[in-house]
Amino acid sequence: MARDGVMSQFLQATLYGLLQGGVFALVAVGFSLVWGVMNVVNLAHGAFVVAGAYVAFELHSWIGIDPFLAVPVVAAVLFAIGYLVQRYLVNLVINAPVFITLLLTFGLQLVIVNGMIMLFTANYRSIPTAYATTSLALPGDVRLPVGRLMAALLAVGLTLALGYLMRHTRVGLAILATGMDRGAARLMGIKAAHVYALTFGLAVAMAGVAGAAVGAIGTFSPADAGRFTVFSFVAAVLGGLGTMSGALYGGLLLGLAEAWGGQLLPGTLVNAVAFAVLVVVLAVRPQGLAGRSFYAARVEV
Amino acid sequence: MPAADTAAPATGSPARPAGPSPGLLPPRWRRVAPWLLLIAGVLAGFGLQTQLYTGQERTASTILMFVSLAVAWNLIGGYAGYACFGQVGFFGLGGYSTAVLMTHVHLSFWLALPASALLVGAFAALIGAPLLRLRGHYFAVAMLGVAEGLREVVTNVPGLTGGGAGITVPTVDAGAPTRWLGNDGFYILFLVLAGILVGVGLLVSTSRAGYALRAINQDEDAAAAMGINTTVVKTMTLAVSAALTGAVGAAYAFQQVTIYPERLFDVDITVLMVVMVVLGGAGTVIGPVIGAVAVAFASEWLRQNYPMVHTFLLGGLIIAAVILLPQGFTTYVHDAVRTRRFSPLANLRRYRL
Amino acid sequence: MRSAAVASVLMLVAAGCGSKGEATNSAGKTGTLTVGASLSLTGSLAREGTLTKEGYEVCQDVVNSKGGVSVGGKKLTLQIQYQDDTSAPDTAGQLVDQFNDKGVRLILGPYGSATTASTAAVVERNGQVMVDSSGADDSIFTKGYKRTFAVLAPATEYAASMVQAIYDLANPRPRTLAFVSADDGFSKTATQGGVDKAKQLGFTVVDTEYVPNGTSDVSAALTKLKGKNPDVILGSAHLAEGVAIVKQSKELGVTPPGGFAETVAPPTPDFVQTLGPAANGVLGSTQWTVKTKGSDSWFGSAPDYAATFKAKFSGRDPEYHGAEATAACLVLVLGVQKAGSTDPDKVRDAIAGLDEQSFFGPLKFSPNGENLTKAMAVIQIQNGKPVTVWPKDSSEAAMTWPGTAS
Repeated sequence: MARDGVMSQFLQATLYGLLQGGVFALVAVGFSLVWGVMNVVNLAHGAFVVAGAYVAFELHSWIGIDPFLAVPVVAAVLFAIGYLVQRYLVNLVINAPVFITLLLTFGLQLVIVNGMIMLFTANYRSIPTAYATTSLALPGDVRLPVGRLMAALLAVGLTLALGYLMRHTRVGLAILATGMDRGAARLMGIKAAHVYALTFGLAVAMAGVAGAAVGAIGTFSPADAGRFTVFSFVAAVLGGLGTMSGALYGGLLLGLAEAWGGQLLPGTLVNAVAFAVLVVVLAVRPQGLAGRSFYAARVEV
Repeated sequence: MPAADTAAPATGSPARPAGPSPGLLPPRWRRVAPWLLLIAGVLAGFGLQTQLYTGQERTASTILMFVSLAVAWNLIGGYAGYACFGQVGFFGLGGYSTAVLMTHVHLSFWLALPASALLVGAFAALIGAPLLRLRGHYFAVAMLGVAEGLREVVTNVPGLTGGGAGITVPTVDAGAPTRWLGNDGFYILFLVLAGILVGVGLLVSTSRAGYALRAINQDEDAAAAMGINTTVVKTMTLAVSAALTGAVGAAYAFQQVTIYPERLFDVDITVLMVVMVVLGGAGTVIGPVIGAVAVAFASEWLRQNYPMVHTFLLGGLIIAAVILLPQGFTTYVHDAVRTRRFSPLANLRRYRL
Repeated sequence: MRSAAVASVLMLVAAGCGSKGEATNSAGKTGTLTVGASLSLTGSLAREGTLTKEGYEVCQDVVNSKGGVSVGGKKLTLQIQYQDDTSAPDTAGQLVDQFNDKGVRLILGPYGSATTASTAAVVERNGQVMVDSSGADDSIFTKGYKRTFAVLAPATEYAASMVQAIYDLANPRPRTLAFVSADDGFSKTATQGGVDKAKQLGFTVVDTEYVPNGTSDVSAALTKLKGKNPDVILGSAHLAEGVAIVKQSKELGVTPPGGFAETVAPPTPDFVQTLGPAANGVLGSTQWTVKTKGSDSWFGSAPDYAATFKAKFSGRDPEYHGAEATAACLVLVLGVQKAGSTDPDKVRDAIAGLDEQSFFGPLKFSPNGENLTKAMAVIQIQNGKPVTVWPKDSSEAAMTWPGTAS
């Protein structure tokens, strides 16, 4: 009996960790894309996640759209914001040393987070849905939370779709080509300014969708932006920068590490474990779990 | 507000190279002038103290603390080009070492501070040896992981550190190993620390190690080929930068009396260091000082005058500064004086896509 | 470079002249009573900081609309200056120092225990006076400070009051309890108080799990609790963790037969808004409810205060963050009136000797500055509204038990 209890507890933690990891992956994939293609560390990424949650929240309270059905609208709104930010702000300093873009996004993060506090107040919110607190009972007293399952499926689906888009469409290939060698890409007739803006727009749209999912299954407030950025940072690097599958592996690994660590360790040491895993993975396999020396071949022009 | 008004020029003015460019000075002067300026700056700091209210002293101490932190980060981030995103880990470790030594071992603050600095330096050398093999972003995120991990460890040994409830350094009772220094005392402490750190920055800048670091920054493989033992140089630099940061953390912990892991390992402090160094001019001696004073002053001024929207405005200000002066203030002035092109719009044309 | 040197020498000379500035007392001039408040308007505590600010605003409005504070035959207009400490304790301390420079010697407390502890030390050094509205951690009051007074019941009472309420009212009475606690000082102290009370009353505490302060994922703690089958889960946490405990328990099939009890989260409006029907039946502890006994000449009784608050904030019901902030401000006003002066030493002595009733309950301080006469109340979410269920003599409704049945 006790053995069963331990087993069920372990399975439950694993399942929950994987679902959580799926959402981490969606949070991280845009961050990884921007970093890989443009060499921009987007510190405002978490702020875009929260912004997506607010768009979904507002849609729900105005016209009662379910947050998962609102995903296309959220994606479109956030894509537009991202496109404009890159085209008219980040592109202005894209040739400056890498820290500069980092600082720009830091300033952007302050503006967006505090803008959201002014617009929406700092209240904790959640988008109420009927399924958010229901779960399916699996054998062995393991529960499968419906809301989280939907979020994780959406996350994994979108991450894979983005991977397909990058490999098999003209836009995706243009983005990859620009990421690898901007000079050569321009010679081939690719408009780098437009492609960069598209990339950023896609990344921000992904962040926004992740926000909508987070809003449906958990709580959010503007103060959470920093936490999402750190998650993205860790998941993106764990998996290897710039690859869509890398973000997926990184997110899942992070989710599992937190879930298992939480079972085995007392107190809140679990976070220490997550970061220890990160440092060890980096020291042993610096290109990340799925990373290839793909972007290392980048030529800066 | 007057606090910051007067504080800014005290440390900032020696930096504004408005006259002829340094290249025109005779070589002997070029070597001595920065040291004279440093001494003048520190003396001006003492002079300034006579003008401040005690609360303004505390604000000025905070600005001086950020000057020290920016200068320390500049060693590894600016000269060597290794973006250490976990610098706050060294700050927090230094602070907690001092708090623990003073509380549990009853060590005098004046011994706890150097002890903490040594401890942090040794820790940095230990983790630096494997992690400095990573380049660019990977190093940045590994260090971020180290700092976050340190915070969690400190939170989870409540017997030693008080955990999330914080630890209070004994400062008033008979059992206090060192009495609290008062706002006057801490102003002097942070002023002297800032002076020492800028001095170290000057030494590094003009030494063999400084040239080695710049070489590593520009092309590490070429530097290694030139006979620089890059591993040793990088590890030493990280250790020195960390030890200095730890010393500042130690002083901060004593000033605050009660410290909490959330604040002492706050990633915002790292980001502020980077912002200050980059806006002032990375890899220069005076750049981080200007950057730290300007950013700390701006954020303080905005907070006092626009308490409801100050962070929003600060964000806007940083965006504007980054777009108009992407290479940092010091480098911009240096280039502008040399090329006689002063318009920041030329800047914009240079870096946009 | 040379001109820079000249400039710095000039600075040096200028700095050497003149004498150290003296703080000017702006508080006494032109008939205003200036009070400083460092609050978390941005950062991780922005939500609670804003609620506290609302309480201070109500106080300022009411006091001024009734003619202001009478000091030595003159009526002074109450003016509260706000500064944002960005939820950082060191900044809060720095801001109180800056208030002191401007001659603002009377301080209203920030939100939270960490910021309050930091400002209390500064207030003590500067000889200011602070009335603390929300820093409940008992450790603030063990340092021998003489100039910080808290209107609220200490942290040890938060979980203990709920344990007592369950003991008094729950039928059938549960036998086993489990605690989920955030790892900040306040929550841990509250948990400790609750555990001690539970043992004293004969409950079995099967487990105490700690979660990171401010997290929205407590699944690991809940998975561990599940196997131990507690009758009631007590959360000692803030809003984000509190919501997560209820929400993730449902997801994970953790169904304690007696339901949930949580310290500070349930009374806040966000709790019901974010959880919807899942919030029903959850117990919470609170410093103030509309049933709190007592009244005073400024705000009347608790229902009067609720009406005033509703009128100011377009029909929104007050909850205890606002009420305790208003009460802190009230203590300062009463102290100044009683002292007949704005001198901080006199105000301190007056507050130390205060023994008043108010809309917030009794206001009377122990030598270390705690309001030990203050009792907490326990509420339960019933039909989406927090209602007082304990103490029984001032309850609005009977406790629904078990909490999961509603």
